[in-house]
Parts: sequence; C-alpha cells; structure tokens
Amino acid sequence: MTAFISIEGLRHFYEGRQVLDIDSLAIGEGEILAVVGPNGSGKSTLLRIINLLEKPSSAEITYWNGKKLTGLDRGERKELAGQMAMIFQEPILFKRSVKANISYGLKIRGVARHEVDRRASQMLERLDMSDFASREALTLSGGEAQKVTLGRAMVLEPRLLLMDEPLASLDTPTRKLVRRDIARLVKDMGVTAVYVSHDYQEVLEIADKLAIIFAGKVLQVGKPSEVFSRPASDVVAEFLGAENLLDGEVADCTEGLARVRIQGVELQAPCEMPAGSTVKVLIHPEDILIMMDGPEKSSARNSLPAQITGVSIIGALAKIGLDCGFPLIAYVTLASSEELMLEAGKKITAVIKATSIHVM
Amino acid sequence: MGDIWNGLVQAFKLIIHLDPYVMKITLFTLFVCGIATFFGMLLGIPLGSALAVYRFRGRRLLITLVNAGMGLPPVVVGLFVYLFLKRRGPLGFLNWLYTPTAIIIAEIVLAMPLIAGITLAALQNQNPKIRLQAKSLGAGEVRSIITLLRETRISLIAAVIAGFGAIISEVGAAMMVGGNLTLNSQPYTRTLTTAIVLEVSKGESETAIALGIILLAITVLLVWLMTLLQQGSLLNYPTRIARSLVSRRKKEEAA
Repeated sequence: MTAFISIEGLRHFYEGRQVLDIDSLAIGEGEILAVVGPNGSGKSTLLRIINLLEKPSSAEITYWNGKKLTGLDRGERKELAGQMAMIFQEPILFKRSVKANISYGLKIRGVARHEVDRRASQMLERLDMSDFASREALTLSGGEAQKVTLGRAMVLEPRLLLMDEPLASLDTPTRKLVRRDIARLVKDMGVTAVYVSHDYQEVLEIADKLAIIFAGKVLQVGKPSEVFSRPASDVVAEFLGAENLLDGEVADCTEGLARVRIQGVELQAPCEMPAGSTVKVLIHPEDILIMMDGPEKSSARNSLPAQITGVSIIGALAKIGLDCGFPLIAYVTLASSEELMLEAGKKITAVIKATSIHVM
Repeated sequence: MGDIWNGLVQAFKLIIHLDPYVMKITLFTLFVCGIATFFGMLLGIPLGSALAVYRFRGRRLLITLVNAGMGLPPVVVGLFVYLFLKRRGPLGFLNWLYTPTAIIIAEIVLAMPLIAGITLAALQNQNPKIRLQAKSLGAGEVRSIITLLRETRISLIAAVIAGFGAIISEVGAAMMVGGNLTLNSQPYTRTLTTAIVLEVSKGESETAIALGIILLAITVLLVWLMTLLQQGSLLNYPTRIARSLVSRRKKEEAA
C-alpha cells in the first residue's frame, strides 16, 4: 500500500532541546493512526507539523497528492492546509451559534450560502444535535462542545483529520459517548485520521494502527492488538500498563521454545534468545487461567501452584493477586471469581499457555 | 439658583427650536469626532492586534508607548500637533493649522492609543488557541486574526466607546490646533467643548448650558447605542422581529 502520508527523518528542536526524532512513520489511506505516549513526548508537536502549523527543524513529509513538505509554495501549502482539519484537547468554539460554528470552515472556503446551510444542517443531524443549531456555542457542556468541534472539522470532509487528545478534558462517562461519536463519524466518512492521546485504552477500539512515542521517538508501530501483546521493549510494555512485567533469565532454548527462570520458577515460552540471556517477561493478566483442583491435563505448558494474596474488584472484573514463587496478577470476571469463591489465602493453580507469554 | 434655572429653560428653548448656531456646532463636533474615531479604529485595532499576536523586536517598547499614550494629556497633544503644523513647523507647508483637519489629527493621536491599548489587553486575555483552531480549519493569517477580534467584540466596542468618549469631551487640543473659529472667511473649527469655554467666558451661560446638555446627551446616547451593540441586543432586535413574524405566519398557515 502506498502511504497516504509518509514522514521521513523528522527532527525538531525547541529551544535547543530535541523534541522529535522520527526516522519514518507512514499512514495509509482511510487508516486511523493512534499516536500514544506520555505527556511531553512530542505528540502534539507532531500533529502541528503535519498540519503545517509549525515548521520542523528538518523533515520530509510526503502528502497524499504527492507534494512534499520541503518545496511547498504558498498556494500548495494553502491547498493542503485546506484539506486538513484539527481538533484540540479543549473544545475551542467561537462565540456564535452552534450552526455558525459548524459553518465556519465552509464559509472560509467560499462555499455558497445555501450549500453551507445544507451541509451544516446535515452535520448537526448526523451528530444528533439538530435541536442545538441556534444555541449559543459557549453555553454547551464539555461533551456537546467537543462534538461540535468534531462536526465543524468533519463538515469540511477533510482528507486528513488530526485529533489532539480530544477526550482529555472530558469526564469519564462523557468520554465514552464522544469517543463513540468520533469513531462512528470518522469511520462512516472514511476519513484518514491521526489521533493523539496519552491513554492507550482510549484508542484501542478506534485505532487501526498504534504508534508508541516516547521522548520524541517512535518506539513501536503496529496493530493495537500486536503492540499490546508483543511490546517491542519493556518501556513500551510498562507504558501500556503491563501488570506482569518480570525479570527473568533464559535457562535453555530449543527450537524456539525456551525455559525461562523467574525467581527460581521456570516457565515455558516461545523465545529465540540463547541460554543465559537476561530477559523481560510479559504476561497479560487476562491470559492467566485459575483452576481449583490441581493441574488437569491441558495443552497449556505452564501450571503453577499458587496462593491468592488479594482480590480487588475493578468494574466487572476481579483482579487477583497471586504468589507463585513470584508475584503475578490475574484478571477473571467477577462472576467466576464469586463462583470459585476466590479469596486471600486460598491455594489454586495458575495455568498459562506458552504462547501467552511474551519474552523480550 | 435662579441663574441655573433660567439657563436650563433657555437651553431647552435653544435645543427645541433647533437654533442654527447650536446645531452647526453640534453637527461639526459629531463630524470631527466621528472621523477621528474611525481613523483611530482603523489604526488602533490593527496595531493592538499586531502587538497582541506577534512577537518582534521593539514590541515591548511599542506596548509601553501605547500604554503611555492611553493617558496623554490633550493639551500636550495639542501642543505637539500645533508645533508640527504651525507655519514654520515641519508640516507648516500643508496649511492645516486652524482647520478641521488639524483637530481631527489631534483627536486621532488621542483616540488611537486608547483603542490600541484596550484591543491589546482584550486579545491577550483570549485563549491563544483560538487562532490556531481557526488556522487549522483553513483560515489564513488575516482571517485568523479577524476571527480572534470577533471573539473579543465586546472589548473592542468598549475600546471604541473609550476613544470616542475621550475626544468628544476634550477641549485642550481642539482649542489649540482648531482655534474655535466661526468667521466666514476662515474654516469652521468650533466644537461643543471649545464653544462652551467661549460662551462661559462671554457670560452667556444659557448657550453654554444648552451646549453642555447636548454634549452630555450625545455622549449618553451614543454610549447607550454602543452598549446595546456590545451586549448583543441591538443586533438581536431584527432577528427577534423576523422570528416572531415567521412563527405568526406559520400559525396563520396552520389555522
């Protein structure tokens, strides 16, 4: 697939400090790329550079029309900028009616008045906000306001939509609703989008591709599920909130299956590293099965006798703390936790498939 | 007390009978101050905007000058404009001294920094991301600033009110560079304030009071209109009327 946008050798300095150092990053047409990283990792700057609002110290960006960032003339710059729209963390609305806000970009583009009116009304309908048309925009709640900024951007039918932490200023229930609207609208309209966030959970459902960015560098790019289950490094794993990130040592390794020793306990996992290597071991808490009556025969390579150290409830899940020679966290549904009467002190067996263990 | 009462009665008579002398002064004052406020806006709003939006060398110095300009004593402004325009002054060849043009120039110098200063303060109070948001939706440099100004219109109207109020009520500069002239052979340069000073010194308190009332009334009326504009109700009247007409027609159609 030829890239819709490709970024090569992006270096950017701000007040003598390097804030971006990206060798290459590409976005395919119709793709939603989530750029996730902690605050201050350069995500917003990246968006502003793509959006031509800021000039990078050096970079080559090739846009969808084949135009390159270095060598854009005024007209081309304006044309490209006109095909992009951006929404920000705080919903920035203009002091006018909701409909006038939605119409803003269309009016700038010199679209005929009745056409502006038609498209703005249509967008309000899509957002399920027709009743808000004549409301003064500054009287809207945070969630409504962010929906309007989304509509104001999408009504332009941009080739590229840039979103800079669009949910960060909202409360949790509102966040869900607005996220749903964003996902729906962006996917329905088939718009290519870059979504920047500090919270990977926010983007899991929306993103086709996930880029983890740290201190200006892209550490990993891939499908969210891939990145999540196979982080490229412990930094990525830790950032993704990995509960079970353990230090281990490869005892031996044959035909891609290794025995990895963690605090004296051995686990079998796929691995290509030679014996004696120190490694990080990642086990997702959802991938740990809890069994009550000893290890029955199963295809799982790892059965560890363990004792429950604590149970805490997170929504519909129970988070089970285990001691199996090393501390481990497992997630089970609240229902099965109650059925099995899991509680601190109880002895169980933790079963982990070798393929659920990620060694890096 | 009797004098004041008599004065008031006479003043109302002058106003009600549209006394030509009083009317001419009033219209002239409105003309001069209107043009000066207009040019004050034309220069002051872009200057204030530029100072608020851009960072450049000398910006701080300019801001200091603008802020100082907001409190300029009219007499001193009059003096400087006089020195420039007098026959042997650098601009003496223009022959503008003791003409309406001279008054207008002096009033622009007074109004412009007020308007620029208030514009600057108002724009700096706005969220700097407004302009970024406008640009990201396709606005160019100028358009993004116009959008920002629109967000600040309440303060902008306040700036214009302040500018107009300052120059319609000042007497020092208008007197010094205008000369308070009414003779047919000379340009007419008598404003409400300069006339009041003259009438009082002649002992004609009725005329002075009439002019004073007019000055007050104009100021209050214009400030009131601008306040309506500022608070949005003036602009809302036509839409409200239109809306009620539409809804009435709909009801009639339904009936």
